[in-house]
Amino acid sequence: MAVDEGHRTVSVTINGIEIEVPQGELIVESVKRLGLEIPVFCYHPRMKPVGMCRMCLVEIGFKQPDGSVRMMPKPQAGCTLPASEGMVVLTDSESVHRDRKGVLEFLLVNHPLDCPVCDRGGECPLQNNTLAYGPSTSRFIDLKRHLPKAYPLSQYVMLDLERCIQCGRCVRFTEEISGEHELAFRFRGASMQPSTFQLLDFESKFSGNVIEICPVGALTSAQYRFRARPWDLQTTPAVCTACSNGCNVWFDHRAGRFVRINGRINEGVNEEWTCDKGKFGHDYYNSTDRLRTPLVRKGDQFVEATWAEAYEEIVKGLESAGKDVAGLCGTRIANEGLFLFNRLFKQVLGSRSVDHRWTRTLGTSRVQTPIAGIEGKKGVLVFGSNPAEDLPIVFLRLRKAATRNGTQVTVVTPDVTEADAFATVASRIGQGDVLKVAQEIVDGQSELARKVADCLKEDGAIVTSDRVRNLPGGGEALRLLEDLAARCGAEFNCYPTGPNAMGAELLGVLPGDGGLDTWGILQGCCSGTIKALWLLDCDPTTVEGGDQALESAEFLVYQGVTRSEATAFANVVLPMAAPAEQDGTWTNCERRLQRMTQAIAAPGDSKPAWRIFSEVILRLQPSTPFFNPREIMKAIADADPRFLPGASDLPEEGAILSATTQAAMAGDGA
Amino acid sequence: MSFEVFRDVAKPIIAGFGITSRRLLQQKEKRATIQYPEDRREQFTRTRWRHVLTRYDSGLERCIGCSLCAGACPARCIYVEAAENSDSDRRSPGERYAARYEINLLRCIFCGYCQEACPTGAIVLRKDFELANYDREDFLYTKEMLLEPIRE
Ligand code: SF4
Ligand code: SF4
Ligand code: SF4
Ligand code: FES
Repeated sequence: MAVDEGHRTVSVTINGIEIEVPQGELIVESVKRLGLEIPVFCYHPRMKPVGMCRMCLVEIGFKQPDGSVRMMPKPQAGCTLPASEGMVVLTDSESVHRDRKGVLEFLLVNHPLDCPVCDRGGECPLQNNTLAYGPSTSRFIDLKRHLPKAYPLSQYVMLDLERCIQCGRCVRFTEEISGEHELAFRFRGASMQPSTFQLLDFESKFSGNVIEICPVGALTSAQYRFRARPWDLQTTPAVCTACSNGCNVWFDHRAGRFVRINGRINEGVNEEWTCDKGKFGHDYYNSTDRLRTPLVRKGDQFVEATWAEAYEEIVKGLESAGKDVAGLCGTRIANEGLFLFNRLFKQVLGSRSVDHRWTRTLGTSRVQTPIAGIEGKKGVLVFGSNPAEDLPIVFLRLRKAATRNGTQVTVVTPDVTEADAFATVASRIGQGDVLKVAQEIVDGQSELARKVADCLKEDGAIVTSDRVRNLPGGGEALRLLEDLAARCGAEFNCYPTGPNAMGAELLGVLPGDGGLDTWGILQGCCSGTIKALWLLDCDPTTVEGGDQALESAEFLVYQGVTRSEATAFANVVLPMAAPAEQDGTWTNCERRLQRMTQAIAAPGDSKPAWRIFSEVILRLQPSTPFFNPREIMKAIADADPRFLPGASDLPEEGAILSATTQAAMAGDGA
Repeated sequence: MSFEVFRDVAKPIIAGFGITSRRLLQQKEKRATIQYPEDRREQFTRTRWRHVLTRYDSGLERCIGCSLCAGACPARCIYVEAAENSDSDRRSPGERYAARYEINLLRCIFCGYCQEACPTGAIVLRKDFELANYDREDFLYTKEMLLEPIRE
């Protein structure tokens, strides 16, 4: 991170080459401009430098008025040294190399060097720096210190105290980035150890990141533990599909099986972080509950079937139901699949009853601030939902805004949230009072209303999520706040929380004119007005009245990645490929369209959603089928110009779609 | 019979029979040919044939499932899957052991890099060279086939 002090530049001489750098930029960063590198451990570009490990020692001097150079008598830490006029830096001198050797030798004295069984081995900065700059043999012949190994800090993070080099990156992460101060150093000197307070569990929604930033194998993942070595792995850039933020990740796999998720840099979305839901929430890829072959009900039992048999059964079922068919879907489905799902019902079957929403009251989302834009707001009102839980990356931006840019944050939620820690005002909503509190804020009479008005008066934004609609009166409350935002010139953001919920909304996977919504469809099943129901990767048994609805539906198709409670009710079960097992595009909560390419093969006979719908449509209505997701994206862009960026090659960081025509789309289908 | 024919044809044949008959009279050990498979020749000490996963004297497996052999193998024919030792089920000293260890001997070029990479001396190439088989699958050597039996 360049310590920006205006736009002044200074000239520094690095290894004899003179360059201009912004004044105050740290020397570790400046040398990168010349393609050089200073080895580091404790320095992390996204956190404040602390100078704890001394790996980055360089020789520093200053040009004197008479043209000579006066070197400082001792080496300096490049990670804490801001560039200033006339500075002379040597990164490659003999004494610098001697210093690095010395630092590494000291670090290794207390290091177990159990690289062969260490999960970091192969991608370990300590290994790499030692190989590049360290001594080739050890002079240490005494007994090594012994400390607890494989100590579980939480269900996700393992701590190996022997390997820790006390760089403080993990501690600083919880202080500066995730902001919950869960980790701290206990004891002093050589006995210093990272730890939680009173050895409680390391409970954080972002704990997985410390595994990645630890420069040694001291913090490792309990889930990835001993699963593979880095050189066993293949990796594919992917998008996390655990929530609507759409973090960029590396999808690591081995021999066709998912192994782990690591953060990938996208400055517009997640910078380089991931939340725990995303980092540890992809194990369903290897679940034994995965569906592998189509199943068709014969009496009380499911029998394995070919796709042709399953389609035949489906066509029979759908045709006998006529127009009384409906489709419900989840949101972990790529745009292409959703588009064809919508087309199947609205154009081919002539039904208007499809929906992807599962909140108590239904509504559409509205997003005006892109994720990165939150950092620049002067005031933010968080209403009704806990951003750390529902919108983890939005939360990290919000925290950064509050702690680094001085954004005023007001939190008005039913429960205690992580955002309270940096909020100027944190107020609780009593049970069932959402609408009352919203009304109070809008009326502008109370103390809280004045505080909110103060917070939003200039360049403000409201951050909330579709979860608020689950609260009684939530939908109405959101409408009030939307009006309030419009009145005081603030941006209003009701972010959707489902992975591709925004995509579903933009593609119009919503009830058409006179069509039934989620609750209407479920009721319709009970009352018999809906005869055939198609469940696309969703499980209505988790909501009220879902069980009865599924039981009463005459014909039920369940299409999913894994088995669920709903599977048991189905007449036909179709196995579907998971997100990283197919090509496809995803729309995150800020309407950023991102492309994912297939990383591994789908298990058994499962097929991607778009292919299943393409094949079903072909059997119901003679037409030219779609052969690949790109063709579908072209068709989507033809139907809806907002998706045009997707029709050609998307930039690596994705493209934010424009918001216009959003409301108009809802009624008339795709 | 001209001189050339005698020199170029008959003489070498007679000389050849001479060697054969001399060897015939020698003791068995010195003969040039052996009666394989009844008899086997002593192999050079550093011969590299089929791999063996060795054990410590205590009976514990040496292999810690680190996959370094797999990383070093130029033919990419080793597959290792590790698991964690527990006190009730201890296979190797330390935290980690190989739960699955497979070598595809059809791909192996017997270079010995795996042996060189191994930090514990677990995988070694020994002298078992009789590896012919009928099915390709039979050349996938699993951990059970590679692991040396516990010495009494
Ligand atoms: S932290 Fe790095 S150097 Fe230390 S044992 Fe692990 S791989 Fe080896
Ligand atoms: S001998 Fe060479 S080719 Fe064969 S398994 Fe070992 S490293 Fe691989
Ligand atoms: S044989 Fe040696 S190198 Fe291979 S996994 Fe086992 S311990 Fe590691
Ligand atoms: S990187 Fe500079 S002291 Fe650690």
